[in-house]
Amino acid sequence: MNPSIDVKNVTFGYRERDPVIIDASFQIMPSQLVAIIGPNGGGKTTLLKLLMGFLEPWQGTISIFRKRPTRYPNGIAYVPQMTSFDRQFPMTVFDLVLTGRLFNLPWWGQYRKQDREKAMSALEEVHLEEFAKKPFSSLSGGQLQRALIARALVSEPKIILLDEPLAHLDATAENELVELLGHIRKKKTILMVTHNIQSILSSVEHILCVQGRVDVMTKEQICEHFALGLYHYPLIDAPHEHRLAEGEKK
Amino acid sequence: MSSFLAALLTYPFLSMALLAGGLSAIAGGIIGAYVVTKRIAFISGSISHSVLAGVGLSIFLARCYNITILSPLMGALIVGILSAFLAGWIYLSCRERQDSALAAIWSVGMALGILFLAKSPGFSVELSNFLIGNILWVQRSDLALLALLDGIILITVFFLHQRFAAICFDETQATLQGIRVKSLYFLLLTLIAITTVILMQVVGIILVLTALTLPSATAGLFTKTLSGMMWLGVLIGLACMFFGLFLAYTWNFPVGATIALTAGCAYGIALGMKSKRIGKRGI
Repeated sequence: MNPSIDVKNVTFGYRERDPVIIDASFQIMPSQLVAIIGPNGGGKTTLLKLLMGFLEPWQGTISIFRKRPTRYPNGIAYVPQMTSFDRQFPMTVFDLVLTGRLFNLPWWGQYRKQDREKAMSALEEVHLEEFAKKPFSSLSGGQLQRALIARALVSEPKIILLDEPLAHLDATAENELVELLGHIRKKKTILMVTHNIQSILSSVEHILCVQGRVDVMTKEQICEHFALGLYHYPLIDAPHEHRLAEGEKK
Repeated sequence: MSSFLAALLTYPFLSMALLAGGLSAIAGGIIGAYVVTKRIAFISGSISHSVLAGVGLSIFLARCYNITILSPLMGALIVGILSAFLAGWIYLSCRERQDSALAAIWSVGMALGILFLAKSPGFSVELSNFLIGNILWVQRSDLALLALLDGIILITVFFLHQRFAAICFDETQATLQGIRVKSLYFLLLTLIAITTVILMQVVGIILVLTALTLPSATAGLFTKTLSGMMWLGVLIGLACMFFGLFLAYTWNFPVGATIALTAGCAYGIALGMKSKRIGKRGI
């Protein structure tokens, strides 16, 4: 089976001689749910931008279903952080979801009937159909995340990238969202930046630990890290097996 | 009010002024909605103030070299579009310290305009008219140009509204969907430049930003869609133009400033009503 995402020896930085991502290599297979963790400024969002094709690696290659991600639409949908856009923007929940069909907008600039139907189906999939005509500014944090996921789904992507979807959510909304993601992963590959790995741990296959370097870990390895109190520190400069051994000695 | 209505029928310059006000309210209400929601009032400010360079150049060429092909309106339009492209390039390429660069467009444009006007022989009565506006000077040819520009705006927005809305709300999503964000952004800034030139006729360069943003900002307090904000913004703009002209006629006030003040009062009242409504709901 071909990987959904294939990253080979990718190095990237915003300033010369100051790389943010260093020699990253990993593969993600279809229908996998992968979490991305790491400290602030560690390169998580940069990694997402590289995968979306917004940034060009200094060296190495990125393939999304064997193609470079710089041609749009590229089969990727992005669910941004809630703080990254204007929550007072005058738009109904339905119109927000409909923007996921922009790629299919005809030259005369009005959405087709089938696009509207798909937007409504996506809203039903995330259980927000009764909010369709409400302004999206009236949604709670959890509802807004689900609306953004509906927008991602309606663009019929193969891969969904989520940037801290669990931030600012209460326990109930968090559980609902994790359940929803578990349902979606049957059809899509999901990559999710999070600081709240405990909530998602049972659902993920792998965890990408990003701190300059990108280490791929299983959830068992991550659990060991947490148990040893080595959340971010050990990712800095040593292979994780070595770091675990060091931790055990201590 | 009845004497004002009678005067509208009696004096053609007054009815033409009202027509110009109406045409500018349409442009301001539609384009203002994008300016307010994308929060680019400062970019719009730098474009609108820089058009003085075009006005000044036109007067300078006419008086010093007898070149009359470039009317002040056309001069403003050309410089406005050039400034829009420069501001767009600054916004898209230098994310850091872009406010300083935009301030430079703002002030250099105005300085060039003042310089051209200072070097133009004769008394520069045009300077104050372009700075604070004089809708009562509107000619039939100006009205035709305003109608043409309004038509361009309406047609462009009809076909591109969904795309403009997308780049105003979430550029990242629009890019991923294959939308040409940069081209659309330059086009939007060009429409802002055109609207600026239209509004300049009514309220003058200094007050353009008021007429461009306040009707839409007022409408935004009561609507939940961008298109609703546009149409309500147009209606509020039309009401402000009418009452502003009426008040200026009644009290012999400068028209542009009175219209801008009317728009300011409408926004203040709307804010008060909105906060009272929120207070009643206990939010």
